[in-house]
Amino acid sequence: MKVFLELGWFFKQEKKAYISGVLILLFVALLQLVPPKVIGIIADHIHDRTLTKGLLAEWVLVLIASGLAMYVLRYYWRIQIFGSAVKLSKILRNQLYHHFTKMSPSFYQKNRIGDLMAHATNDLAAIQQTAGSGVLTLVDSLSTGGFVILAMAFTISWKLTLICLIPMPLLAILTSWFGTMLHKSFYKAQEAFSSLNDKTQESIMGIKVIKTFGQEKEDIEDFRRQSEDVVQKNIVVAKIDSLYDPTISIIVGISYFLSIVFGAKYVLNGELTIGQLISFTTYLGLLIWPMLAFGWLFNIMERGSASYDRVSALLREKVEIKDTANALNKVPVGDIEYQLAQFTYPGESRPMLKEIYFSLKRGETLGIVGKTGAGKTTLLKLLIREFEGYQGKILFGGHPLQAYKLDRLREAVGYVPQDHFLFSATVAENIAFTNPSATKQEIETAAKLANIHEDILQFTDGYQTVVGERGVSLSGGQKQRISIARALLMNPEVLILDDSLSAVDAKTEEAILSSLRENREGKTTIITSHRLSAIQHADLILVIDEGQIMERGTHESLMADAGWYKEMYLHQQLEELVEHGGQ
Amino acid sequence: MEEKTQLSNGEQRRVLVRLLSYAKPHKKEIAIAFLLLLLTTVGDIVLPLLVKVFIDDYLTPRKLDFTPLVILGSTYMGIQFVKAILLFYQLVAFQRIALYIIQQLRIDVFAKVQSLGLKYFDKTPAGSIVSRVTNDTEAIKDMFVTVISTFIQSGVFLAGIFISMFILDIKLGLLCVVLIPILMLVIVLYRKYSSRYYLDMRERLSQLNAKLSESLQGMSIVQVFRQEKRLRAEFAAINEKHYDAGMKNIKIDALLLRPAIDLIYIFGLIIVLTYFGITSFDTTVKIGVIYAFINYVDRFFEPVNQMMMRLSLYQQAIVAGSRVFKLLDHEELAPAQEEEQKQEFAIEEGKIEFNNVSFSYDGKRDVLKNISFTANPGETVALVGHTGSGKSSIINLMMRFYEFDRGEISIDGQSIRRFSKQELREKLGLVLQDPFLFYGTVKDNIRLHQKTMTEEQVEEAAKFVQANAFIEKLEKGYNHKVVERGATFSSGQRQLIAFARTIAANPKILVLDEATANIDTETEEAIQTALAKMRKGRTTIAIAHRLSTIQDADLILVLHQGEIVERGTHQELLSQRGLYHKMYLLQNGLSQQVEDPIH
Repeated sequence: MKVFLELGWFFKQEKKAYISGVLILLFVALLQLVPPKVIGIIADHIHDRTLTKGLLAEWVLVLIASGLAMYVLRYYWRIQIFGSAVKLSKILRNQLYHHFTKMSPSFYQKNRIGDLMAHATNDLAAIQQTAGSGVLTLVDSLSTGGFVILAMAFTISWKLTLICLIPMPLLAILTSWFGTMLHKSFYKAQEAFSSLNDKTQESIMGIKVIKTFGQEKEDIEDFRRQSEDVVQKNIVVAKIDSLYDPTISIIVGISYFLSIVFGAKYVLNGELTIGQLISFTTYLGLLIWPMLAFGWLFNIMERGSASYDRVSALLREKVEIKDTANALNKVPVGDIEYQLAQFTYPGESRPMLKEIYFSLKRGETLGIVGKTGAGKTTLLKLLIREFEGYQGKILFGGHPLQAYKLDRLREAVGYVPQDHFLFSATVAENIAFTNPSATKQEIETAAKLANIHEDILQFTDGYQTVVGERGVSLSGGQKQRISIARALLMNPEVLILDDSLSAVDAKTEEAILSSLRENREGKTTIITSHRLSAIQHADLILVIDEGQIMERGTHESLMADAGWYKEMYLHQQLEELVEHGGQ
Repeated sequence: MEEKTQLSNGEQRRVLVRLLSYAKPHKKEIAIAFLLLLLTTVGDIVLPLLVKVFIDDYLTPRKLDFTPLVILGSTYMGIQFVKAILLFYQLVAFQRIALYIIQQLRIDVFAKVQSLGLKYFDKTPAGSIVSRVTNDTEAIKDMFVTVISTFIQSGVFLAGIFISMFILDIKLGLLCVVLIPILMLVIVLYRKYSSRYYLDMRERLSQLNAKLSESLQGMSIVQVFRQEKRLRAEFAAINEKHYDAGMKNIKIDALLLRPAIDLIYIFGLIIVLTYFGITSFDTTVKIGVIYAFINYVDRFFEPVNQMMMRLSLYQQAIVAGSRVFKLLDHEELAPAQEEEQKQEFAIEEGKIEFNNVSFSYDGKRDVLKNISFTANPGETVALVGHTGSGKSSIINLMMRFYEFDRGEISIDGQSIRRFSKQELREKLGLVLQDPFLFYGTVKDNIRLHQKTMTEEQVEEAAKFVQANAFIEKLEKGYNHKVVERGATFSSGQRQLIAFARTIAANPKILVLDEATANIDTETEEAIQTALAKMRKGRTTIAIAHRLSTIQDADLILVLHQGEIVERGTHQELLSQRGLYHKMYLLQNGLSQQVEDPIH
C-alpha cells in the first residue's frame, strides 16, 4: 500500500479523474449483480410455471438496460483510470529526461546508460501499471468481491455463502505465491535471454574474427548451447505459469461442489428455491476474478513500489554543477590561467592532476602531450566544468570559472571530444547542432574548415545524409572531422581539440591545422595529441605525465631542454634522421 | 528505425504459414498435446452436464438415494482433479513445443547471419541484426506460446461448448450460433483499428526510446554545447505523441474489448432466458438444462476475451516474422568457393599475386583500379596511402570478405577461388586494426573455439609475441576474465592478444591491418618486435599507417584513390621524391623541408 501513498501527489493532482473513475467502478460492481439475480428469478418462474409474457419482457428489458449501462460505464472508468496512468508515466518520463540533462558526467560514470534506459522504460511501465491496473484491481476486487458476497449472503443464504467461501482464501494465497515464483523464474529467463543477446551482439561485432578463423560452425554450436539454456529457463517459467489454471479450476470446482451439495440440501428443506441456487452458482463465478486479482494486486504493488523507489532515487540525485549566486551573465573572453594545486576524481584516492600552473594569452595556441591516462583530457574537462572540486582555481578573463553562468561559460568553448559522437540526424543538422537555424553557407564554411566538405559531397544525399547510430556508417576520421565542424560552427572563443585528429591521416591533419591557424586569428585554441606534429606550432606546449607538468615551453625551447619531449620527437624521427644522415 | 510495418493480408498469411511450418518436426508432441487438450475440454463440457443430471433427475424430483449421489459426487470431483492434472501437462506441452520451435528459428537466423557476406554487415547496423536474432524471434515466441496455444485451446473449447449445446437442445444451440457473427464482427473491427493504433504506439515508443538512448549517450555533447532546453522540448514532443497514441489505444480497447464482449454476453443470456421462458409457456422446462446452458454461456466468453487480448501480440509477431524471413531470404552471401573440383588445392609456398584487380562496393564507384603486384614467399608487401585510398579493400578481397569480379587474385599460381574455405582459413592469418576480444578468458581468446589446442600451445603463442609478460602479471594469468570487448585492456595489450591468437593458428600468410592511434611508445615497441618475429618466414601483406614500421618491406605500394601510384622499397621511394616522400616528411613533422608539401 506504501506505493499508493507515495503516488498520493499524483492522485491528488488527478483527483477528478480518479474519483469519478472509482465511483463508476463501484456502480458497475453493483450493476454486475443484476444478471445473476434475473437468471434466478426467471428460473424460479419457469420452475413454478408462473412466467408470463409480460414478466419475461420486463426482465429482459432490465437485462438490456443494465448491459448497456455497464458498457458505457466500463468505457468511462477505463478512460479515467488507465488514461491517468498513462499520463503519470508521461509526466515521470519528462521529469527523468529533464533531470538527466542536468546531471554531470560523474553521474554517468556511476550509472550505466543501459540501467538508466531500464529505469526510464521498465520501471515507468511498472509504475504505470500500479497507477492503472493496480488501482483498478484494488477497487474492483474489493467492491465486486464485497458486493457479490453481500448479495449472496443477504439475498440468498449466508450459511451457503460461508460454506462455499471456505476454499477461496486458498486461491488468493496460492496465486500470490505462484506470482512470486513466476517473477523469480521469469527474471532468470530474462537473464538467460539477455546473455543470449550479448552473445549475438558479440558475434556480430566480431564477425570478421570469426570468419577469419573459419569458426562459424563452432560459433553456431555455441549459440545453440546458449539458446538451449534460454529454452530450459523458459520451461521453468512455463511450468509455474501452467499451475495457475489447474489450481483455479480445482479450488473453484470444490467451491461449486460445496455450493451445489449444500445448496441442494437447503432447496430440499425449503430454505432456498432452485432459481436461487442457480443465481448463487452464477455469483460464485463472479467471485473468481476478485480472488485472483487480490493475489495479483500484491505482485503489482510490490513491483510498482520497487520501481517507484528506484525512479525517485534517481530524481533525488543532486545536481552537482550549477550556477553560483550572482554568477556573471556574460560570455568569458580573454586569458586563461590555471592555478591548480590538485584534482581528484570523486570516489578515487589518487589525484588525477597535481600542481598545474600555466597561463595562456587570448589568441594563443596551447598544445598538451603525454601518454594515455596522463590527465590531458581531465585538464580540459575542468575548463568546461564537467568536473569540480579541485584545490586551486582556474581563471578565464580574470574571473574564476565559477563566477560565470555555466551556460555562458560553455558558450565560449567549442569542444571536440576524443570519442566523437554524432546524433542520428543529417550531416547538416549535426554540424548545426549548436544553432539549428544556421544557414547552408555557415554549415558549409565550417565543414570546409574541418576538411570534410569534399567527403560530404561524396555521400549519397550530401549534407542531407543521415548519420549516427541509425544512419550510414562513417569512418572514424570522417566522424572526427564532422565533430570538428560542429564545434567550429559556433566560432568559439576557445576551441578544444581533445585528441580529435587521431583517426585522420597526417596530410588531412596538416590541412586542418593550417586552416585553423588562418581562420582563428586572435582566438584561443587548445590541442591535445599523441602525434607531436599536431602541436608543434603551439605557443605553449605542456608535457604531462601522471597528472603533473613535466616539461613546458615551445617546440624550440623543449627541443633545447632535451627532455621527454625531445626524446619522443627524436623517436618519431629516428629512422628519418638515419636516412638523411642527421639533418 | 524499422522498415514500414504495414503488411498486406496476403503477406501476413504467407508469413503465418511459414512460421507454422516450423512446427512440422514436432508432429508427435503436438499430437500428444492435442489429445490432452481434447480430454480436458471433454472434462469441462461434462462437468455442468453432471450438475444438470443431479438437478433434473435427483433434486427436482426429490429422489435422494444415497449410493447414486455418492457416485455422482465422486465422479464430479474425480473428473475435476484429473482434468486439472491433464490441464497442467497440456499447458506445459504447448509452451514447450513453442519454445523449441523458436529455438530452431533462432539458430536458423543466427546461422544465416554467419553465412552472410561482409557487405551485409556494412549496410546493416549491428543493433538491428541483433534485434532480428533475439527480439524479433522473442516476439514470435510470444505468438507461439500465448497466441497460438490460446487460439487452439479456446477454439477447441468453443467447439466443445457448441457440440454440447446442440446435444442438450438443438433449437437453442442454433439460436446461439447467432452470437458467432456478432463476435466475429467485433473481432474484425477490433483487429482493423487496434492493429493500426497499436503499431502507431509501438512506433512512438521506439522513437521515444531511441531519443532517450541517444541523448544519454551524447549527454556530454548536449551539455557542452548547451542544447539541453532544445532536446527537452524535442523529447517532450515525442513523449506527448506517445501519450496520445496510448490514449487512443485505451479508447479502442475500451470500446471493443472486454466491455463489448460483456455486452454480447448479456445478449447471449437474453437469448437463452427468452427461449426457455417462451418454451415454458407450453411445456415443462428442466431447470438442469437451464443451469447447463447458463453455465456454458458464462464460460463461452472468457476464451473469446483471451483471444482478443492476444491479437496485438499476433500482429507484432507477424511483423517480426516478416522481418526475420527477410533476413533468412537475404542473398548477399559470403563469397563462395568453387566446389566441383577433383583435387584439393593446398597453399604450400604462399606466393600471392594480384593481377589487374578492380573492385567496387556499390557497383558504381571503383575503390580499386587495376591493382597488380606479387608477393613472393616470405616477403612483406606494405600498403600505404591516406584514408580511403583502398588499402583496406585489398585486404578485404584477399580475405574473401567480398567477391571481386574483375581481375584475378592467386596464391601459389591458383585462383584464390579454388581453395577450400578450410584451407584459406587455416593458411591466412588476419590481424585487425581494432582487435576484437570476446567475453571469456584470455586463454579462450587466444584459442577461440579450437578445443584441441593445448594450454602449452596457447602459452607458447603468447610467448612468441611477447604477450606472456603482461598476461602472467594478470591476477589469474591465462584464465583472467575478459570483459565485454576487452575494455579493461589497453589497446596495445588487446593487439598483443590478437597476435597470439593469429600465431596460435600458425598461418602461412599474414595479413596485417596496423593499428594507428592511441598506442603508447612502450607498448608499440613490444608490438613492433612481435610483428618482426611473426613476419619471419611468412608472406605478409601489411597496411601501414606509420611509414617507420615498414621500412624493411620488400615492396611498398603507395595507393591513391584506388590506384597504385608508386611502388618500390623504402629507399627507392624516398629517392623518387614523390607522394611517399611527402607523406614521410609530413608524418615526421618536417613539412618545412619540402617546398610544396600539400598540393
